[in-house]
Parts: sequence; C-alpha cells; structure tokens
Amino acid sequence: MKILVCVSKTPDTTAKISFNADNTEFQSAGVQYIMNPYDEWYALVRALELKETLGGTVTLINVGTADDEQVIRKGLAIGGDDAVRIDAAPKSALFVAKQISAHAKSAGYDLIMLGKETIDYNGSEVGAMVAEYMDMPYVSYATKLDIAGSTATLMRDIEGGEEEIEVDLPFVLSAAKGMAEQRIPNMRGIMMAKSKPIQVIPAVPFEDLSVVTSYELPKAKSGVKLVQPENMDELVRLLHEEAKVI
Amino acid sequence: MYSFISSRNIRFILHEVLNAGDLNRFPFFRDYDKDAMDMAIEAAIQITSSNIYPFNKAFDQFKVTHVNGVTHVHPQLKHLIKSIAEGGWICSGASFENGGGQMPEVLSSAGRLIFYAGSCNSAYPFLTSGSANLILNFGSDELKSAFVPRMIAGEWQGTMALTEPQAGSSLSDLSTSATRTEKQGTFHISGQKIYISGGDHNCADNIIHLTLARIKGAPSGTKGISLFVVPKYKLDGSFNDVKTAGIYGKMGQKNYTAAHLMFGESGICEGYLVGEENQGLTYMFQMMNEARIGTGLLAAGNISAAYYASLKYAFERPQGRHPSNKDITTPQVLIIEHADVKRMLLLQKSILEGSIALLLQASYWADIAAHGEGFEKENAHLLLELLTPVCKCYPSEMGIISVKNAMQVLGGAGYCNDFPIEQYFREIPINSIYEGTTTIHGIDLLGRKILMKQGAALSALYVEIGKDLDAALKIEGISLYSKKLTVAVQKLQQITKHLTDLAINERPEVYLADATIYLEGFSQIVIGWIWLKQAIIAQEKITLVDAVSEQQFYSGKIQTMKYYFEYELPKYVPAFERLLSNSKITLETNPLDLL
Repeated sequence: MKILVCVSKTPDTTAKISFNADNTEFQSAGVQYIMNPYDEWYALVRALELKETLGGTVTLINVGTADDEQVIRKGLAIGGDDAVRIDAAPKSALFVAKQISAHAKSAGYDLIMLGKETIDYNGSEVGAMVAEYMDMPYVSYATKLDIAGSTATLMRDIEGGEEEIEVDLPFVLSAAKGMAEQRIPNMRGIMMAKSKPIQVIPAVPFEDLSVVTSYELPKAKSGVKLVQPENMDELVRLLHEEAKVI
Repeated sequence: MYSFISSRNIRFILHEVLNAGDLNRFPFFRDYDKDAMDMAIEAAIQITSSNIYPFNKAFDQFKVTHVNGVTHVHPQLKHLIKSIAEGGWICSGASFENGGGQMPEVLSSAGRLIFYAGSCNSAYPFLTSGSANLILNFGSDELKSAFVPRMIAGEWQGTMALTEPQAGSSLSDLSTSATRTEKQGTFHISGQKIYISGGDHNCADNIIHLTLARIKGAPSGTKGISLFVVPKYKLDGSFNDVKTAGIYGKMGQKNYTAAHLMFGESGICEGYLVGEENQGLTYMFQMMNEARIGTGLLAAGNISAAYYASLKYAFERPQGRHPSNKDITTPQVLIIEHADVKRMLLLQKSILEGSIALLLQASYWADIAAHGEGFEKENAHLLLELLTPVCKCYPSEMGIISVKNAMQVLGGAGYCNDFPIEQYFREIPINSIYEGTTTIHGIDLLGRKILMKQGAALSALYVEIGKDLDAALKIEGISLYSKKLTVAVQKLQQITKHLTDLAINERPEVYLADATIYLEGFSQIVIGWIWLKQAIIAQEKITLVDAVSEQQFYSGKIQTMKYYFEYELPKYVPAFERLLSNSKITLETNPLDLL
C-alpha cells in the first residue's frame, strides 16, 4: 500500500488574522503555524493506521516554501516515512492541486488522502481538483475507511445521515472527523524525523485563472448586553429576534 | 494564546534569551536543535490541551477514597500518565541505553512547566521520573532492568519516601529500619512514612518507593541512612506488605495523593539496596536540585494557569467607568482598562515570567554542569547550586501572592468554583512546603550556598549580573534600570558582608535568624536581573520585527520589566534594613511571649 498524504501549513487556531493595507494579502509575519488539523488528525493518522495493518509507505506532500518544513517534520515525527515538498508558495487551490497531481501521476500511489478542508481558507477544493487532474474517483468528507484487497469501503456524512461507499483503488479522499484519533508525536518520533528524507522539487508551470481581489474579516461580535431582572420581556425579545435561539 | 500557558514566552526564553538550541554542541544533546525543541514544546502543549487541562476541575472535584486497600483516584489520571509517558517525557534526560531520550534539562523543564500549567496532577509521572533516575544513577544493573522500563512506560508509579512522623526536615532522626537477609542486597524494611506524594493510587499497576531507611547497626544521624527500592508488589506479583494507612485530606491538589505508608507492619516487606550502604542521603541530595527546580516549575505552572484565567476575565468583564467619566449613561469599560487591574495583572506577569526565565536558566546551567567542561562547567555548577533555593522559593512564595491577585481581578467570581481561580488558590501554597519549607531554603542559601568555596558562587553570580548591567547601560530606554539594579546589587554585597561578619563574630543562631528575609531580598534582586536580561533582548528586537503581534510581545516584556523595577524590586530595601539591624527580636522572644 503506497499512500500519499497532502499536508498544508495553516495559522494556529489562536493566531490573530490580519491583512495588508489594501486587504489583498494575508499578513504572515509573527503568525505561529501548525499542520492543518484535518490533514494531520484524520488523513495522516488513518494513513499510518493502514500502513501499520497492511504494510507499505506513507509519503507526505506539501506545496510550500522552506518555511513549511517544520510542519512536514511534524508529519514525519508522527510516523510518515518520507516527504515531498513542491517548492512554491501555494497561490490557490487549483495551483496546489496541479502541483500535487503533477508529482503523483508518475509515482503510482494507491491512495491519496487529505483533510476535508484547511482551517484557514476552508475551501474544500483541493481534493476534488487532484482527483480530476489524476482522473481518479474522489470521496469527500469520509469519516471511515477500510481497505480489503483492491477495494475500499468508506462512510461519509450526508445531510441527515451517512452513506456507505465502495470504491476501487486508486482513489482520492478527503477525511473528516471520525476517521481517526489525533496522534501526538513522541520524542523518539521527533528525533527520527530529523533523518527522514524530504525531497524538494520545483513547481510545474501553471497560470491561475482567478485572482483574489480582497479579503475581509468578519464583523466584530457585539458586546455583552445586560438586561435588568425586571425586564424579562426585553430578554425574551433579544433571544428571539437577535440571538434567534427561541 | 492558550488558556494556561504562553508558548511564545517559552520560545522567547529558550531561543532568544538562552539560545538553548546551542546545547547540541554537546554530543549527548546532538539531536536537539531549535526545530526539535519547538516540536517538543508543541507536542507538550497538545498533550496538555487534550489529556490534562480539560480534566483539571474534575480532578479537583473527585473524592479520593481508600477502600479495602485500594486508593481510588480519578480514572483520567491513567490517561494523563500514559500520554506523558508515551510522549517520551519520563526520564527524558536519561541516556538512550537506559531508555531515555537524552533530552536537555532545559527542554524537559519547559515541558514540565506546560504539563503542570495544565494540572498539578502532572506531577505524578515526574515523581516517577525522579525515582527512576535515582535507580539509573546509583542502582545495580539488576535493579535498573527490573524496575526502570515499566516506570518509564508509566505503568509503575515512583515515589520518594523520606518523611516520617518524627523526622520531617530533620532526616537525621529517621528511624525506618532495614534488616539484612541472606540474599545479598535484599533487606526487610520496617517503619512508617508520611506525606508520601503519589504514595498510593489505582492508576498504576505497582508503586515503587525509593525509601530511606537505616540498616541495623548503621551509624546514627545522616551518615547511617541508606536508600532502598521498596515496591508495593514484588516482581513475582505478590504483595510486599507496603500498606496504606490512609490518604491525607488536603486543602488543594485533591487528586494528587499524599499517603501514610506502613512498611512490614504485618508481614515481610522487602527492600533492595540502591548503591552502597549509608550513602542514601548523599544519593538523594544529588537529585535535590532537580526536585527543587521541579517544585518551582509546579508553582510556576499554577501561577501561569491562574494568570491566563484572570487575564481572559479582565478582557471580557465590563465594570465601572474611568474615574474622570461621571456619565453613567455611557457603557461600562472592560476591567482591563482600570489602572489597578492592570497593576494586578502586571504583578502576576512579572512573577510568572520572571519565575519561568529563572527556572529555565537554572535548567540550562544544569545541562552545562552535566555536560560542559572546565570553567564553563564549574561556573554553571556554582550558579545552579547558589540559585536553586531561589528557583524553589520565589515561584512558591510569590505564587501565593500572584494567585491571590488573580482572584482579586475576578472579584467575587474568583472565590466561586464557576471559575478556576479558587482551585489554583488552594493548590499554590503547598509548593512553599514541598522539598523543604522556605525557612529551610533560607538557611541553605545563607548558611551553605553563600559560604561555599569561600563565596565563589556568589562571585560567579555577580560576574553574570555585571555582564548584563554593562550591556543594558548601553541601551537607550533600559540604562536607567541598569543603574537601579547596580544600586541593588551593591546593597546585596553590603548586606552579605555584614551577615558573613556576623557568622564569624556571633553564634550561628544570630547569623541565620533572619535567613528567610535574606532569601526574600536576594530573590527580588535575582529576579530583577532576570527581567533586565529579558528586556535587553526585547529592546533590541522590537525595532527589528514587522509583525504587530511580535512588537506587542516585546513591548509587553519591556513594560513588565519596568513594572518589576518600579513596584517589586524596591521591596528588597525594607528587607535589607531589617538585616542591618542589630536587634535580635526573634532570638530574644520567649516562647511564653507568644501566649
């Protein structure tokens, strides 16, 4: 079993998000980065579990600059065997998908896994695009994955319930909560990660068809409203009309 | 920002103040560069966020019981211990051959701090670490292979069994006995131990007590004390007659058991000699710096959790208006806007980050002392020895004040268990008692450390401080504080000379009567130095960074240093005034005067 896991670098969930003066660029200075939790907790850990039961290898792939190597090292510390870094800033989902598929096409992976979305842009796009470029089946939002022979059985959440899917290898899947339990790297893994290979390859030429014209932060939440105990009608009105919880 | 710790602050101290990644110049630490350290810190935070911090209140509210010989603690403790063990943090500093990770002490301390900020229950696995390290450092190969692997795996709990009903701080009065058997190295142990942390619980398969006892016929006093491994269950699984007489009810740290143990009361209790006979206390004391710094870390973890809880509250709670605003129709301001709330938060931040920086600095010295050579090694050893009492006592004593101020920030809410502060307030005081009361450490500092090697340790400290005083003097915005600290250090030299003259001319009782007050004043100045050290870096970096968050971080460091120098450092003045006085109030007080 040869598995490729796509890992992204995203700002830590506690990071303060800001943009440059004309709101066209994310301000990355001073931001603490982590591996995208959906890639790490679900895709990577399930890939490692499959490797542990079926044998094989787990390769990480990342589209990013040298700054991303700490995130890649973490994936190797958790248990990945090796990694590929496409040496380019991840300009868009399509760009990332193009780069991943360009590498994966010739490498013969049985399974390509990634998180259901990244926690920064929440686009949920890369998986489908990779599958399209690779001409492979794609299962999104998978919560369970088992493999027997050359067939995979998956569960995925759908509106109001779940569905079970069978698909032949190779294919692409995006992993959601439930797929696996988080693994925290131990010191042995951290030490071993230092000697695992990271292959750095140049990006293939690609021109994006769209550009981001501006970003906007969500509006600040309004402060706490204090309602006097004798004014219950106002409390009910606020809960009904503003909070919309009753 | 996490709810219990600032990882940015830890990284600042590790990399920017200490340059700890440089420790990989020693072959023993060759794998620990900056990236590996950062990954370890992140892993420690993940473990704490997942398995420790969310359960802290439940640990506190769980009623520990001792029924039918079993001490029941909160079941999550098993997961806590397992996750720290699987992370590779138990005996992390031991060699690879011994099952350790050859981790620098400075990184191990940073990890412990994070775990302790999540919960004081994280002390369980590090008790095991300390006990296993004793076996690794002084025990036979047989003892090592029999006990250490399962301790490192977190399956067996380790303890330090020293205190007895009649022998607390005065270990020379210890009476637990060891009787020789026909089997070489095996003794029968008989006696009682009290207040044994982690002494019994049902989240470990066995409890391994590193026990001090006196072999029959051994000299009296401290020279006749030996160290034994005394398991609750023998290696064949049979009970070793280590009975729990009871679990103490405590004001805090409720799920962190303190046991009264009876050895060999109704059967045979086997103990296995560690190292040589009558060397037990020497072995224990070789681990004391680690244990005392560990207590400082436990206190700092507690301060950290309380600080970030009160800081969060201050940013969310609207109350009152600025004194100049008399218009009650205007919205209330957040309490973080009030000057005195900011004072209480600055006080906490100065104690917290001053403590952490000192503790990590001391741990860094421990690494140099263990693996360095020549002058560097000797110098680090002297500084570590001298400042260990401050590492233990400053966070423990000032932590009580810090958490009290956290409670004040929350007002009435801080006293109620809807918020975590009341728990931290009950938990912090014990740190001033663990590993010796503050009095003991005052006496250790003044009676032993100041005098050691004709004052060589104190001279080494003055040299270290002098380097930073010189550096700060050249930096605009900080030079004023260099001058303030220079005056304080001169006073310290004057007071120390006054006291050492007393040591020559007076009875030891006179010299040591106010040792605790000397420790207090000494600590204020040491922490002043530690803050100046941080401010030097912050002042240099603040102009070099673009990110607003980074500028804010360094600005916070500089502002807190200023607070410390304006509000906290001057507290050495009344302490030293007292020490210069010739009156002998406490010595002359008749016990009956206290009735």
